[in-house]
Amino acid sequence: MAITSHDPIPTAQLDGAVKDYSRDKVYVLTALFLAALTVVEVLTYAFPDFPAWSGNLVIVVLMLLMAIKFFTVVHIFMHLRFDKPILTWIFWAGVVLAGGVYFAALCTFRIFWPGSHG
Amino acid sequence: MANAVQAHESVAQADAHAPHAHIQHDTNTGISNTKLGMWLFLASECLLFGGLITTYLLYKHPLEGPTPKEIFDIPFTSTSSFVLLMSSLTMVLAVSAIERGDHQRLRIWLGATALLGATFISGQIYEFTVFVREGLGFTTSRFSSAFYTLTGFHGVHVTVGIVMLMSLVLLSLRGKLPEHRAETVEIVGLYWHFVDVVWIFIFAVVYLIP
Repeated sequence: MAITSHDPIPTAQLDGAVKDYSRDKVYVLTALFLAALTVVEVLTYAFPDFPAWSGNLVIVVLMLLMAIKFFTVVHIFMHLRFDKPILTWIFWAGVVLAGGVYFAALCTFRIFWPGSHG
Repeated sequence: MANAVQAHESVAQADAHAPHAHIQHDTNTGISNTKLGMWLFLASECLLFGGLITTYLLYKHPLEGPTPKEIFDIPFTSTSSFVLLMSSLTMVLAVSAIERGDHQRLRIWLGATALLGATFISGQIYEFTVFVREGLGFTTSRFSSAFYTLTGFHGVHVTVGIVMLMSLVLLSLRGKLPEHRAETVEIVGLYWHFVDVVWIFIFAVVYLIP
């Protein structure tokens, strides 16, 4: 019989199985990675003329860094990567719905048009 | 059953992220109702914070009073952001500790998470106090109203999270948080990580993007 990681087993026996097994190292490395990305974010503020993010490129760089941090926390720390797919669908439905609705709202107010600062 | 446990061990060894502690629940989805409820709540929270962030983006250029560039202290806020980010690490270590049945470390990590959260909130209160002294009250401009509403709502969420964390510490001290209730800690953890994720967004959009 094929056994998947979602098959039910009693917690008491499971505790014995995971006793010597730790994901803590993965979590610490993930946190260090997130901290490094935060440092890069702050560097964009400290050195605005750096070629990698000069001018309007800084917005793209910051959005990209933010997206990477967002995905990392949601998938590793919030266990979405390891959990049932339905939870991923539920969460991303909320994110996509919010993103779509508010992007449309911002477009309605022409916020992305040059010189339209209300 | 022994074979099943062995198979789980091999899955765990093969993949360092194996979800071996997730138990099948007697529901249609195989997920407990409380966990499903928390994920639905978090999905709805995306809409709440999306609305607040959109409002801020629409009103970020003040017609009167100080501008964001004049008042924001980026090094200070960066430190606060780092503190909140590290609280996500301590939270996930707390979940890991209870899955191993290590109650002492569970309490240590939960306490550390609450402490880091309280440090973040203290920083936010200090920041608000400085802004008010510099002439940026809640009703000073449309920017100030949108800014305080957005960051204030986030601060309230962090405060609620701290209360939940302290409740877990108390439950653990009273012996009412055994291993088979690890999911309770995981659910509070989900909320805490979400609060962190929202701040990742706020920090970039409100403080850093010119």
